[in-house]
Amino acid sequence: MTDNTTRRSPFLSGLFSAIVPGAGQLYNGQRYRATAILVGALVVLGMVVWYGEPFWYISPVIIWLWNIWDAVSLSAGRTRSILAPVLFSLLATYGIGWQVVQINFKSASIERAVQIVRPMLRPDFVTLRTEKNSIWVPVQVPCAPNPPKAENEINGIKAFATPNCASVGETVIVSASGLWPDTETQVWWQTPIGDPKMLGENEAAMLVIKTDSSGSLTTTIRVPSTALAAAPDPTLPFQHRVYFEQFRPIGGFVISSNGRYVLQGMTETLALALMATTLSIFLAIPISFLAARNLMSANPLTFGIYVVVRTILNIVRSIEPLIVAIIFVVIVGLGPFAGVIALAIHSVAALAKLYSEVIEGIDPGPIEAVRATGATWVQTVRYGVVPQIVPPFTAFTIYRWDINVRSSTIIGFVGGGGIGFFLIQWIQINDLRAVSAAFIAIAVVVIVLDTISAKVRERLV
Amino acid sequence: MLRVEHLSKTYPNGTRALTDVSFEVADGEFLVVIGLSGSGKSTLLRCINRLIDPTEGKIFWDNIDITAATPADLRHIRRNIGMVFQQFNLVKRSSVMTNVLSGRLGYANPWLSLLGIWPDEDKKRAIKALERVGIADKAYNRADALSGGQQQRVGIARALMQEPKLILADEPVASLDPVLSHSILQYLEQLNKEGITVICSLHFLDLVHRYATRVIALKDGIKVFEGSAREIDRAKFKEIYGEEAQEVRATAL
Ligand SMILES: Nc1ncnc2c1ncn2[C@@H]1O[C@H](COP(=O)(O)OP(=O)(O)O)[C@@H](O)[C@H]1O
Ligand SMILES: [Mg+2]
Repeated sequence: MTDNTTRRSPFLSGLFSAIVPGAGQLYNGQRYRATAILVGALVVLGMVVWYGEPFWYISPVIIWLWNIWDAVSLSAGRTRSILAPVLFSLLATYGIGWQVVQINFKSASIERAVQIVRPMLRPDFVTLRTEKNSIWVPVQVPCAPNPPKAENEINGIKAFATPNCASVGETVIVSASGLWPDTETQVWWQTPIGDPKMLGENEAAMLVIKTDSSGSLTTTIRVPSTALAAAPDPTLPFQHRVYFEQFRPIGGFVISSNGRYVLQGMTETLALALMATTLSIFLAIPISFLAARNLMSANPLTFGIYVVVRTILNIVRSIEPLIVAIIFVVIVGLGPFAGVIALAIHSVAALAKLYSEVIEGIDPGPIEAVRATGATWVQTVRYGVVPQIVPPFTAFTIYRWDINVRSSTIIGFVGGGGIGFFLIQWIQINDLRAVSAAFIAIAVVVIVLDTISAKVRERLV
Repeated sequence: MLRVEHLSKTYPNGTRALTDVSFEVADGEFLVVIGLSGSGKSTLLRCINRLIDPTEGKIFWDNIDITAATPADLRHIRRNIGMVFQQFNLVKRSSVMTNVLSGRLGYANPWLSLLGIWPDEDKKRAIKALERVGIADKAYNRADALSGGQQQRVGIARALMQEPKLILADEPVASLDPVLSHSILQYLEQLNKEGITVICSLHFLDLVHRYATRVIALKDGIKVFEGSAREIDRAKFKEIYGEEAQEVRATAL
C-alpha cells in the first residue's frame, strides 16, 4: 500500500488489535486478514483454555503480540509474514494433541513386549501327535460297612487304592503299575456323575507324578473337598474313581483343540460374509434402480424417490457395521446371525450405490442397436443391457465380499460370531498362542481372498 | 420401394425435429441425407425403423404401413432393415462374435438366444459376414479392443446378419478419419450394388458426390433439397449449410 491517503494511525492500529485481535487490520481495510486473525486467535485461545495447561498459553499470547505488530506494520504499508502465528497455532495443536492421546514411550516396556511376542511365535494351531495310556481305580465315598475292593485292571495295567473307601478330606494311597516307565502321569479324581476334580496343590492344580523305571507309581491323595458337592445325599456311599493318564508323542502333528476353534471360527467368518453379501445382493439390485439418476429423473415424483433413497443409502453407509452388530446382538442374541444382519445392512447400502452408478453409466447406443435388429424386449435386455451391467456388478460384489470377510473377522468382538468371537475371548484369558493362531488364520484368509478377488475383478472390468 | 409421407416429429420437450418431410426411395438406390448437425437426419432415419415414433405422417415400405405396424409386425419389419451408427453402438465388453450374432436376434429362437446358444448355421453366417468386412480374425476379441474403423466394420457385419433389404446408416463415418471413411463407404457401396437399398446420412460433400445416387437435404427439420449430388451448386450449398459454411472436403483434411 503506497497510497498515503489510505494510511492509518500506527498507534490506533496497534491499540485496536491489542483490544480485539484483527481489529487493527480491519481498521487498515484488510477484511479477510482481520477475519482470519480473529477466528484463528479465538480457536487457539479456546483450545488452550479448554485444555487448561498454563504452558500452552504461550501460543495465544504470541499470536496476540504478532497481531499487534502486524497491525502497526500495516499502517506503515508493510505486510508481515503469517508464518509465526501459523507455526504457533500448529505447535499448540500438536502439543495438546500429543498430551491428549497420552503418547508415552516410556510406558512401552521391552520386557512385556517379549512376554507377549514369545508365546505368539508359537501359534497354537497344531500340537504333537500323542498316544494315551490310562487306568482308573474305584474308591467308595463315604464308607459303607463292606466296601468293594478298590482295584482294577485293564489291558495289563493295574491300579489299586488303600483303604477301599474314605470320607471327604481323608487320605488314600493310590498305586498303578504296568504304565509306560519314566513318563509323567496325570492323576485326577472323577465323581460318579463324571465331574473331574484336580488333586494337586489346593485342588487347583493337576497332580503330575512320574512313573519309575518299571512303569509304576504310588502317591497319597486327599479326597477332594468338593467330591460330594453335587451328591443328592452326602451320606449315601458311591463309587468314585481315581484316574491315571499318561501321554507320549508318536511323531507328527495333529490340529490342536484351539486350532480346531480357529478353523471353526474362520469357517463361520467366511460363511457369515458370504451370507451377508448374498442377502445384500438381492436387496441392493432393486434398490439400485431407484437410486439411478438416469432412470428416476423423468418426473418430480420419481426424482423425489431417488433423492430419498440416495440420502438413506448415504446415511446407512456411514454407520459402522460393528455398531449395527452391537444393536443386533441385543435384538437377535449373540452369534453369527447378528453379524450377518449387521454386515448385510451396510452392504445393501454400499452395493446399491455402486450398482446404481453402473446403471447410470449404461450406454444407450448398444440397446438401440439391438432393438433395431428386430429383437424382442427380453432379447434387448439380454444382449444390450446385461452384458453392460453384469461384469461390473459381479466385480463390485466380489469386492464387497472381500470387505465383508475383513469386517466379519472383528464383528465377533461384539458377539457377532466368527473368528473374532474366539479371538476376543483368547485375548481376555491371555491365551496368546491361540491369539497368534487366529491372527495368522485371518491374515492368510484375507490375503488369499484379496489376491483372488483382485485377479477375478481385473478380468471382469 | 419406401415412401415417406408428411413426416413430422416433435419431441416431448417440444423440439420440432422434423416438419412435413416427404420423399420416396426406389429399391436399389443409395440415398444420402445431408444437413447440418441438428437438422433432423438421425430423427428421420430412426423414424423409418421406428426406433423413434413419428408424431405425424406415414411411412410405407412395399405398401406396408410401418407407422401402423403392431409390435410383432414391427420386429419383422426391423429385421429386414439393417442399421449402422455413428458411434458403432457395439456392446464393448462382449466379443465381436456376440455383437455380430446379435444382428440375428430377429430370426433366432427366443429361448435359446436368451441362453446365448446359437445354431452353427448362424455362427457360420457370422464368420462369413466378418470375412466380408475383412476382420474374421478378430471374431473372439472383445469389441472395445478394436480400432474405430474395425468397430464400424463389425457394425456392418451385424447389419449383414439380418440379410437386410434396406440399410440405414446414420453418419457411419463421422467418427472416422477420411481414409477409413472411404473404406467403410465402399463396403456400403458394394452392398448397394448387390441390391440392398441404402439410406445414409453424411456430412462431407465430396463423399456425397462419390457415393450418392440421389440426395435429400434437411434444414431445421424441413426438406430443402432433393435431387442428384451434381445439382448442389454454390447457392444451394449456402442455403443448406448457411452463409458462413465452407465446402469441407473429407479428403482435404
Ligand atoms: N431425444 C430427444 N429429445 C429431445 N430433442 C431431441 C432428441 N433427439 C434429438 N433432439 C433434437 O432434435 C433435433 C434434431 O436432432 P437430430 O435428429 O439428432 O439431428 P442430426 O442427426 O441431423 O444432428 C435437434 O434439435 C436435437 O436437439
Ligand atoms: Mg445425428
